[in-house]
Amino acid sequence: MSLWRKSPLLILTIFAFFIIYLPIMIIMLFSVNGSEKDYSFDSFSLKWYVEMFEDPQLFEAIRNTLMIATISTLIATIIGTLTAIGIHSLSKKNRTNMMILNNIPVINPDIVTGISLMLVFSLLPISFGMPTMLLAHIFFSIPFVVLTVLPKLKELDPNLYDAALDLGCSRFGAIYRVIIPSIKTGMLAGALIAFTMSIDDFVISYFTSGQGFQNVSIWIYSRIGRKSFSKGVYAYNTLVVFVTVVLLLISSRKNKKTIVRKEEK
Amino acid sequence: MRRLRIVALPYLVWMLVLVLLPSLLILLLSISDLDIYNLGAFSFVADGFEELSKPLVIEAMKNSLRLSALATMICLLIGYPVAYYLASLKTKKKTMLITLFILPVWSNMLLRIIAWETLFFPNSILNMFGVSLNLIGTDLAILIGMTSMYLPFMTLPIYSVLEKMDTSLIEASKDLGASNMQSFLKVTLPLSLSGVVSGVIMTLLPSMTAFALPERLSGGKTLLIGNIIEDYFMKTSNINGGAMISIALMLVIIVLFITVVHFDKEGETLL
Repeated sequence: MSLWRKSPLLILTIFAFFIIYLPIMIIMLFSVNGSEKDYSFDSFSLKWYVEMFEDPQLFEAIRNTLMIATISTLIATIIGTLTAIGIHSLSKKNRTNMMILNNIPVINPDIVTGISLMLVFSLLPISFGMPTMLLAHIFFSIPFVVLTVLPKLKELDPNLYDAALDLGCSRFGAIYRVIIPSIKTGMLAGALIAFTMSIDDFVISYFTSGQGFQNVSIWIYSRIGRKSFSKGVYAYNTLVVFVTVVLLLISSRKNKKTIVRKEEK
Repeated sequence: MRRLRIVALPYLVWMLVLVLLPSLLILLLSISDLDIYNLGAFSFVADGFEELSKPLVIEAMKNSLRLSALATMICLLIGYPVAYYLASLKTKKKTMLITLFILPVWSNMLLRIIAWETLFFPNSILNMFGVSLNLIGTDLAILIGMTSMYLPFMTLPIYSVLEKMDTSLIEASKDLGASNMQSFLKVTLPLSLSGVVSGVIMTLLPSMTAFALPERLSGGKTLLIGNIIEDYFMKTSNINGGAMISIALMLVIIVLFITVVHFDKEGETLL
């Protein structure tokens, strides 16, 4: 492409980055703002980073969020991987049908998923709170794990599994020793998506948590514009963004390594 | 590997219970007086249909359709060129760039909405630069917010399709005498259509059903269909009325979903 065609595209791309990053930058700015007000910035201060641990309700919401995200990611990654292996071994027609079913929660707006789960859970003999929110997070995470693992399975030589069985592996032994190592990067990507989706989810959590059990998003929604809205949450969000960036850098480096290894072979 | 088929079975059951069952439940609730929290005898009633003719609900539906259509159009006009540009970069850094483009989606959406909200008040941090906006309550505020939130959903599927595209096709079209414009219109654009369809739907649906975003950026003035549903289910506990409005929404979603499936059977453009 010649430069005169390229520069409008470049400018538009910079503008697009600007419009999606502006709110993140504003939150970062607020997180180090010494002022109590959101409309003035008078001094640099790290007090909100301390406040985040000192506001008991915010701290509890942060703890709940991380707990739900950790447990749901672990469970969703395991179930999602096994499910992907199952779906992969289906006939083409059944596989397509399962993938259509799998993609319903991905495409469905959160509000529809939220009320659907709320209605099903109200039929079950469990009370709304931590268990229902956890189930909901597992539910919306699995499809993403399936979507990241399946392409890795397609690259895998199907004879490897049969060879492992011939050589005396049990079914799950063969999955564990042959299939899992080859799809690790897909599982890792799926887990990363599941974790970040879980930490930031608002709508589905809101409909499935009932009263009393709050994650960070519900904490925010119930306090917007009120005095009890602690700016410690800006500090929390800024930390989450930094951790996500670091994790991404690490995982992209890992990816590079596996590519190099393939090339060496 | 055929023997592993059995592993997919529990998931089928799980999905039927958590996807199909609630859909049927919503349908039943919308046309009956069933009390979901106190199951018992119920009869079929047509009260639900009155919900759909309430002026407030009609207004919210119109707002949802208008604002989500505009937001999707803006996202497409920005997102397609951006995806095209990022996919055309020769550098190895392009994977990193598209990841960075998606990254804000993984940060709390409510806080990002609040950040825009503070900027849209006349008295804001922008005063430091001598700028004062007064946008709260305008459609523009909602559209800027939606573009900022959903642009990555439009860009990523288009990028994935363009990135995988065989560039020799474009060279071939040029060898055969097509101009840059012609080869874009006749080769690149048709081949990227599945990405565009996914992107449009991944943008249209969340913007149509948003409720926290319009609530904050319109100062509570502009109601979208999501606000009505939230109100019915969470505030006034009018579950049956809410179910009827959800059914109307789900009909739209089903049409859109069938469109995606038609273009992309295994959901390869969804990630």
